[in-house]
Amino acid sequence: MTTTDTAAASDPSPTALEEAVTSTDPNTLSRVWGFGGMTSVLLGAIAGLLVGFERLDLASADVFSSADEMFQFWSAHRVALVLLGVLPALMGLATTVVPRQCGGSLLFPRAAALACWTWLIGAGMTIAGFLADGGLGTPGGAGQRQATALTLMGLLLVIGGLLLASVCVMTTIVSGRAAGTGLRDLPFTAWTTLVAATIWTGMLPVLAANTVLAYVDLRGRPALWFGAEDAIWEQLSWMFTHPAVYVLALPVIGIALDVLARATGITQSNRDVLLVATAAFGFLSFGAFAQTFFDTPGTPVREEALSVVAAFAIVPVALAILGGVADTLRRGASNLGSKPPAEAVVALVAVLLVVVGTVIGAVHAIAPLDLLGTAVEGANFTFVVGAAILGVGAGFHHWGDDIVGPGARPGLFLLGGLALALGVVLSSATDLISGLLDQNDFTGVTIAAAGNPDSGVDALNLVSMLGSLAVVAGLVVWMIAGALHTATAQSARGATVQEKGAA
Amino acid sequence: MASTVPAAPTRPRTLVIASAFGTGSVLMYFGGLFALYFSIRADALAWGSQWYPEGAIQLVPGGMNMATLAMSAITMAWAVQAVLNDDRVHAMIAMALTAVLGIAMVNQTVFYFMDIGLPIDASEAATMLYVIVGSHLVMVAVGVLWLGMLLLRTLGGQDTNRHRDLVSAAALYWYAAVAVYSVIWVGIYIAK
Repeated sequence: MTTTDTAAASDPSPTALEEAVTSTDPNTLSRVWGFGGMTSVLLGAIAGLLVGFERLDLASADVFSSADEMFQFWSAHRVALVLLGVLPALMGLATTVVPRQCGGSLLFPRAAALACWTWLIGAGMTIAGFLADGGLGTPGGAGQRQATALTLMGLLLVIGGLLLASVCVMTTIVSGRAAGTGLRDLPFTAWTTLVAATIWTGMLPVLAANTVLAYVDLRGRPALWFGAEDAIWEQLSWMFTHPAVYVLALPVIGIALDVLARATGITQSNRDVLLVATAAFGFLSFGAFAQTFFDTPGTPVREEALSVVAAFAIVPVALAILGGVADTLRRGASNLGSKPPAEAVVALVAVLLVVVGTVIGAVHAIAPLDLLGTAVEGANFTFVVGAAILGVGAGFHHWGDDIVGPGARPGLFLLGGLALALGVVLSSATDLISGLLDQNDFTGVTIAAAGNPDSGVDALNLVSMLGSLAVVAGLVVWMIAGALHTATAQSARGATVQEKGAA
Repeated sequence: MASTVPAAPTRPRTLVIASAFGTGSVLMYFGGLFALYFSIRADALAWGSQWYPEGAIQLVPGGMNMATLAMSAITMAWAVQAVLNDDRVHAMIAMALTAVLGIAMVNQTVFYFMDIGLPIDASEAATMLYVIVGSHLVMVAVGVLWLGMLLLRTLGGQDTNRHRDLVSAAALYWYAAVAVYSVIWVGIYIAK
């Protein structure tokens, strides 16, 4: 036996799991963030589908045994999509794509790995808390207190992980970019990620403050107020509604601008306008002030001038961004050919959904229409978060060869993306109409809790449920496409290693 | 012929920038807590409710803590200046003093809260008081641990540019801790 043979036998190459756990490589971290995030998105979509089934017949509880249980799944749907799904998936892209766009490498890679695993453990605790009859409280107070405490603790770890990752990415952009590269020179994905991460580091700590208050009040004795079972979700819900959800869409706009620029071979004209518009979009997304739970009696924060003006101001900003996208497409249409890249199509749909979402957000802020708390809020959420999911998918597909390796499946990706987009439009459009007919955002399992018993929303709820089904189907197709892509890339890597060994 | 050695490229102050972002997050956390505290307090007072029971919050312990932390801000600035001047002895003394003052503040606060006679579940005000002051204690404790590690590095003889950045980063965090306490002092201990 030669010395080389001995060394090879005693030092086997690490398994995929060992590599994932011990690695500080941005690509590996990106895969963990991305896989974990998209799995959570799928779980959240399934929870939403179950809630949709239950809404079909509000006269009886078919899927869930009580309104409390339905509420747990309804809130799990939103938490899984935002904090466990889209945000981490965006972080996965930011970890690997942004440093490259900045011409450097990810700073503080060990801190980035710590952030990733902290988030993953926190996500596991949060999901376990929901499944153990905890979650973020229940209207009837019938949940398990210990499980609720577990959910809150998991949520704190999730927030901590996302914050640490945001700091790593922001420092990379500000301090680690190549010499001579100004912030104005950055590609749009890096720029929008910088703006979004700034907003995240402003909003997530406030969410952590809410969570700590609820946790401290919940533990050890009857809760006074903050930790009361029926009050926890109300305190945290601002993170999952207008305007805070818009910040999820911001990096997606950057991804779309970069993807479309690549697809058309055209650089955006009025680049500075787009930089300012995307920054304004980010700052108008700051939603930590809109905590309805702490409203002063008689002056609801959602009806304050600041809130209403911000809701309307973001619409022209979104339209300006859409104008930039349209201009790029107009000038580069001849380069797209008859079969434009799948990610360009999906990214374009994502931008359109973001714009529609902002318009719905503005409409629901009009006080005389009395739409606050109705299903219009759900429609706004679905449009914006659906757009974010589409954009994240487009990003992973666009840079997939860099992150995973060659072997992308554009056909499957496009099929899944179109199913997802169709589902988002069906689900949120019908929720929009239901909301205009006075159906509540959280309908409960009784007609009385649904809002207006005579509103006749049953047929709309059926269409909405079919939309949720299409969303789940689209996500499953994406997961299959991702698995096939990974398998192809791994076999290609294995073949390369074998060829080198033979040589 | 005299050769000119090109100047080494200035290293971006990544540690200081990362510390600024991290400290900004911590400030937003306290900003959230303060916003809720003052908002709920204003509502309670507007409705004529009692916020804290008469005499429950004393001025002296808060004042002593503020004075302690104010002194620690001065010693922290001394440490930064000493490291910039490559003065290891003064840097070690200043960092040790800052850490000791931080520990003293934690000790005073714990002693006061053992003696306060205001249980955490007495009212919403008491719950918020414990959460805000407790969170600040954690912030100071993290700062003390950070200073302890820096002290060990200084004792080990490291006084490189990177170490200067480490001290500046820790100083930024420490000043933020002092600033947060000044809000606690005015908003809770004085205004009650």
